[in-house]
Amino acid sequence: MMENPFQETLFQRNRAEPCTVVIFGATGDLTHRKLIPAFYNIAACGDLPPQFKVVGFARRDKSDEVFRAELEAANRKHSRQGHNDELWATFAQGIHYHRSEFQDLEGYKSLKVQLDKYDQERGTAANRLFYLASAPEFFEPIMQLLREAGLNEGADGKWARVVCEKPFGKDFASARKLNDTVNATFDEADTYRIDHYLGKETAQNIMVLRFANALFEPNWNNRYIDHVQITCAENLGMEGGRGGYYDTAGALRDMVQNHLFQLLSLVAMEPPTDLSADSVRDEKVKVIRALRPLVGPEAVTQNVVRAQYCAGSVDGVQRVGYREEDRVNPESKTECYVALRLMIDTWRWQGVPFYIRVGKQLPKKATEISVHFKKPPQVPFATSKMLLNSENTLVIRIQPDEGIALRILCKQPGQALSVQQVKMDFHYSSSFGNASPEAYERLLLDAMAGDATLFARRDEVENAWKFIDEIQKAWHKSDNPPPMCEYPAGSWGPVEADNLLRADGREWRLL
Amino acid sequence: MPTAAADPAEEAFAQLGMEVPLAQVDKELKKLWEADNAKTRASLINFAIYSEEVANLGRNNALLDGITAQHACRALMILSRPTDGEPRARAWINALCRPYHGQQTVCCEQLSFLLDGGGAAQVQNIVFAHLDSDLPLVVWWQGTLTRNFEERLSSRIATLIVDSATWANPCAEIDVLIDARERSGGKLDIRDLSWTRSHFVRLALAACFQDPIACASLPRIEEIAIRHAKGHRVAALLLGAWVAQRLGGQLDDRLPGFQFQRAAGGPNISVTLEEVPSGNALQSLSLKGKDMSAVISRDADSPYVHVCGSCGDHRQDEIFPADVETETELISEQLSRAGGTTLYSTMLPALRKMVGRAGCD
Repeated sequence: MMENPFQETLFQRNRAEPCTVVIFGATGDLTHRKLIPAFYNIAACGDLPPQFKVVGFARRDKSDEVFRAELEAANRKHSRQGHNDELWATFAQGIHYHRSEFQDLEGYKSLKVQLDKYDQERGTAANRLFYLASAPEFFEPIMQLLREAGLNEGADGKWARVVCEKPFGKDFASARKLNDTVNATFDEADTYRIDHYLGKETAQNIMVLRFANALFEPNWNNRYIDHVQITCAENLGMEGGRGGYYDTAGALRDMVQNHLFQLLSLVAMEPPTDLSADSVRDEKVKVIRALRPLVGPEAVTQNVVRAQYCAGSVDGVQRVGYREEDRVNPESKTECYVALRLMIDTWRWQGVPFYIRVGKQLPKKATEISVHFKKPPQVPFATSKMLLNSENTLVIRIQPDEGIALRILCKQPGQALSVQQVKMDFHYSSSFGNASPEAYERLLLDAMAGDATLFARRDEVENAWKFIDEIQKAWHKSDNPPPMCEYPAGSWGPVEADNLLRADGREWRLL
Repeated sequence: MPTAAADPAEEAFAQLGMEVPLAQVDKELKKLWEADNAKTRASLINFAIYSEEVANLGRNNALLDGITAQHACRALMILSRPTDGEPRARAWINALCRPYHGQQTVCCEQLSFLLDGGGAAQVQNIVFAHLDSDLPLVVWWQGTLTRNFEERLSSRIATLIVDSATWANPCAEIDVLIDARERSGGKLDIRDLSWTRSHFVRLALAACFQDPIACASLPRIEEIAIRHAKGHRVAALLLGAWVAQRLGGQLDDRLPGFQFQRAAGGPNISVTLEEVPSGNALQSLSLKGKDMSAVISRDADSPYVHVCGSCGDHRQDEIFPADVETETELISEQLSRAGGTTLYSTMLPALRKMVGRAGCD
């Protein structure tokens, strides 16, 4: 095929070829709040390929027009760049609806007929991207029937890809089964597992910060770094009925296995040989594989704290305890807070603990990584008191208020030699005026362009589950399970989590 | 006793903040920050606007207000008036502030300089003495490049922005640019707002030919027609040259007009321009060949560009975003692009030939 000569020198990123996106579960919240506004905003930036089409695949009976009208209302509400009628009119021409049960082969056959018809109208076969936005229990029949209908292979040399939303299983066994199912239909190279944390600007910046700044990379090891903290705090509880799902998952499965392990990998990985998807993911998965396993209740008790919130207040508003929340089992043994001490058994990180904490109903919403450097020799600065809690700290704020801060020590002005901490602070929003694209915009565009760098690979997911499973086993299948701790809503978690660091002579960073 | 007529430049500068002694700009800036409620000073670049027209002052001041909202910088506004008298320089300082998260204020510094006499050396000294150290220098040179733009200054510039639409003698200005770039060993990053004005057309064109059927028709293109507003001939020439070059064409010196010969064989490509009195700088680009056509057009004031293409029975009708053409938007677009671009610079020799052939002024 002839190369498009106008692309060269114009774009710094790959461009997507014409394609049709089929969304399974198209009447759901994700499609309305995230996917369609993301595609619309890609169009508003001029990055959508020509003759682009979206086909919504769902069970409810509705026409293209009704579907478009629903999506238009949602786009008006959720689009990052607002809503323009002229652009929407053109964009919406490419939106179609296909009614079918997820388990009905006939629905897939008729989908194929519909997609072939679009190809005929285009005058050429197009690429196909299948997006699984349905409930996870439908992944298996969808995969099987896509295969049976012959939709899993691109026609006439075109590609067919699948995008999977989390959760990628609930443990290693279910993840492997799910991956087997997906890979029986699509090659791993055509499988894109979305973790929206990887689409965030600051997550992408971690590699740049580490590997493009000579200031940091030589110091990014156990000779200079004392420990690393990763915090993901939420000031919400189970509002909007989310208790139903959350109570079956818990903080460890819902956040740590995917989002926080992804951040951990980016912080701890070795430099990739190049920026290709597999080079980057090869290095990330090595980190997960090198996590020292926490096997047995004793190891879990020593290194992991789980907790539920009890009644308290956040921002002056009274909150009920976790077990009193809507759709939560009053006898629930699901953790909504977890703190972990992790060790990575590599040359670079030997002896450097990585502390991770994630929780609901904490004082504020913040996801941050802080790298705590070792203290310098205290000679000649007089008393050791001066340097108490005063190590250099590099903070990478993932959300909100994305940016980077560096805490350093300075002499306080005056006659005496007093050392004071000062903070050098960089905020994305005050330094770069342009708003960053939403994570989904970046990830969808990458999936259409065939760049899987920001998507989780099968071995990353499965190795993460292997590690998590041991903790779950100690919690739920041992005779002497580690205790479920408590913390008042609005506090920074249970005392036991503070003690986890205190035992090492450290403390959680004040956010 | 009759009073002397007020100097319009001084009156305009008086609106640009507080006049301070030239030697104390830094000291006075510090005082300004201490006295102000500003919480954060933000700076990623030094952004200087050099002008020789008093009439541009108000426009440039408004532009800086818009630019600093998007791009954190130390802004230097320089008005140079060539006079025969003793060199004289005066300075004004100001803070351009924006609310941030509803509470804090993010501010950029604006330093304005009025230079009388003194020439290139004075301009260089003023610029060099007032840069925020370690940050790259971006200069929008609104004056003619044939005066005051000298090697010592250009060697310190990371990015030079010009607007060829304002040039009275494009040939001379292009020669200066080619020379400056050669002297810098290819390091000088040159941006021309005329080139930026065609950005949305180029993006739409590239997106249009992502369609494989459309793409397969490219070797058949024989005619490139561009409609442009009066005063934007250079923008149209640049666009025509780029399209023809991307199609593998080289300007044929033997043929009249703008005929490009394809290195790989196939039909020659002719570039024709149509000038209209007013409207958007670039209004349409048409590509025609055997059994194919593509038209990229933009209605007045529309934020979108329409792409209409046909190859035999195959039809394409799409819309893509069009950049707004205000100077603030154009400059902002330039400042948003990290890293240098060599595309414009590599086209300068071809542009010089085309401009020369069309008449240098």
